[in-house]
Amino acid sequence: MVSESGATGKIDYSITARPNCSLTPSQKIGVFIAIALFPLVVATGFTLAGAWLVFPFAGLELLALGVAFYVVHRHSTDYESITIAGNDLAIERRFYNNISRVVFNRYWTYVVLKKMPGGEHKLWLRSRGKQVEFGRYMDNEARQALASQLKRRIGATHHHYGEIGE
Amino acid sequence: MTTAAQAHEAHHDHHPTGIMRWLTTTNHKDIGTMYLVFALIMFMVGGAMALAVRAELFQPGMQLMRPEFFNQLIGVHALIMIFAALMPAATGFANWLIPLQIGAPDMALPRLNNWGFWLLPPAAILLTLPFILALFGIGDGAIATGWTFYAPLSVQEGIGVDFAIFAVHLLGISSVMGSINIIVTIFNMRAPGMTMMKLPLFAWGWLITAFLLIATIPVLAGAVTMLLTDRHFGTHFFNAAGGGDPILFQHLFWFFGHPEVYILLLPVWGFIPHILSAFSRKPTYGYKAQVYSFWAIGILSLVVWAHHVFTVGMPVPALLYFMYSTMSISLPLAVLFFCWIATMWRGAMSFETPMLFATGWIILFGIGGLTGLVLADVAADAQYHHSYFVVAHFHYTLFAGGMMGMMAGTYFWLPKMTGRMYSEKLGKLHFWLTAIAFNLTFMPQFFLGLAGMPRRIPDYALQFAEFNMISSIGAFILGLSQLIFVYNIVSCIRGQGEKAADKPWEGAEGLEWTLSSPPPYHSFTVQPVVK
Repeated sequence: MVSESGATGKIDYSITARPNCSLTPSQKIGVFIAIALFPLVVATGFTLAGAWLVFPFAGLELLALGVAFYVVHRHSTDYESITIAGNDLAIERRFYNNISRVVFNRYWTYVVLKKMPGGEHKLWLRSRGKQVEFGRYMDNEARQALASQLKRRIGATHHHYGEIGE
Repeated sequence: MTTAAQAHEAHHDHHPTGIMRWLTTTNHKDIGTMYLVFALIMFMVGGAMALAVRAELFQPGMQLMRPEFFNQLIGVHALIMIFAALMPAATGFANWLIPLQIGAPDMALPRLNNWGFWLLPPAAILLTLPFILALFGIGDGAIATGWTFYAPLSVQEGIGVDFAIFAVHLLGISSVMGSINIIVTIFNMRAPGMTMMKLPLFAWGWLITAFLLIATIPVLAGAVTMLLTDRHFGTHFFNAAGGGDPILFQHLFWFFGHPEVYILLLPVWGFIPHILSAFSRKPTYGYKAQVYSFWAIGILSLVVWAHHVFTVGMPVPALLYFMYSTMSISLPLAVLFFCWIATMWRGAMSFETPMLFATGWIILFGIGGLTGLVLADVAADAQYHHSYFVVAHFHYTLFAGGMMGMMAGTYFWLPKMTGRMYSEKLGKLHFWLTAIAFNLTFMPQFFLGLAGMPRRIPDYALQFAEFNMISSIGAFILGLSQLIFVYNIVSCIRGQGEKAADKPWEGAEGLEWTLSSPPPYHSFTVQPVVK
């Protein structure tokens, strides 16, 4: 999901993109419990019948399922944002627990939009030898629209549109 | 405010080429392709074993092989067809289609997906390696207990059992990884607007398959591990002399084994309605009824296992319970049959290859279902148990119901996957040869079973000679006709044949048909919204 806002207070422009998740955290827990219940009942039954080795395998499997839901849940808080305020253009990214923030001079930043094999466009922001990719949670259309938006709002007039490998 | 696709992992951005693309790929379509190619190869390997079995059974008397080798071929044929052909084929379709059908850019856990696939080749090697080792005097060949591993025979047998135990563990881990990925993908990565009751039936079928795998694989894993410890570590789980119970193994095995039938069939039941609807040019009839029937069958499949062991001895109330509960599965299954037929009813039907396979599938799978009812009856089962009637029944269920369903799906989605149309003429020839040869192979086996021929024997009484000869001729036609299938697929992969349109079938509905044929490396860079 992408949320975008124009000038508010000291901020001239900001955009935040997050991955799409169909389940809320509580729904994830509900689904996990619903799935886990039956294997646990079965493993208990077979353990009582003497086949106790079913239990560790059921446990390992449910642990793996739990980890899978946990990993997906942790990624649901990932985001990327661009904030333009005054002379600064700040790019912030969260991936798991790692939050990285890069601040460029608004008027010395280039927008680089490249067409990849297969027709997908990728977007980079580049300034003084550093570049940051943006738009991993955005679709192709939204990345192109954002490139045009940024072009209007930041200072560097050299906007690079090209094919990869050139 | 706009809607965006979920993240493409960074490792997708610059995908490697050549062999590294396939070894390291996390792309759902690449992994789906690998599963399907692996399944096709193992289908041919398992089929070759079946042909060797039928060659031996062409005439009474021992013709070509020792009885021990015959038993090994029977057991490994079954294990390969179930675990290395049908299950990977279903997972291959899931990888290819589920993200496309629910509007997700990829599976939720792409690396897990890659690991899940790469466990399969070592497992296939473990299953077949004992044959080769025996040629060098190591061990006495592959597992010869049949695919059921029944104790105490499996406790006493050679190293083939150990290889099979480790192979089953790897295959089980792979299945669980696939199931976890599918559950998380379907629940968490549906496109906005794609509610659970808008999920395509294929996704529903696979979701319940994944639940069944999660519920039953630990039981199989526990059972074969106990077998391993009985064989090598002095335990007596299944050794009556040591206070163990060999019957417990049968219950453990079939607690997994019966749902396994539905694990193999539910994905097919999921995609057949897509095909029937497309070629009848009508919406699927009874979507909700089919979803609820999937659920009912999935749940019932977990509580009916002991009908496989009626003859081993059980209290009468248990016999009655397992008989009636097994028969009750026919009710939701009848609902499915009704919906499939109603989908075609008064439709503008055309019979391209996928539709031929789908309609042929309904009839042949119907025979498998009806003969299952016969075996569910305790009194009848006492006569037919361990006879060729059972062999014929489960081949109508798993070859016609499973493999022919997969063939229908392959022809239906092959143009989407490869961007090329297969040869319709060869496809139809493949169908008719398969359908006729299949009946020629397995219909006589019903009569053999009714006449009392036991299964898993390399030699038989003279009275069974004619039907066995017919069955063997049918099997060779059936086996050879699958080369047409392989040729058609390889032609499409090599880019021969007409270019396929994005929606090659006029009546096809679903998100996957909105993409190009073949779809781009990353599906849905523009995320769809389902209304």
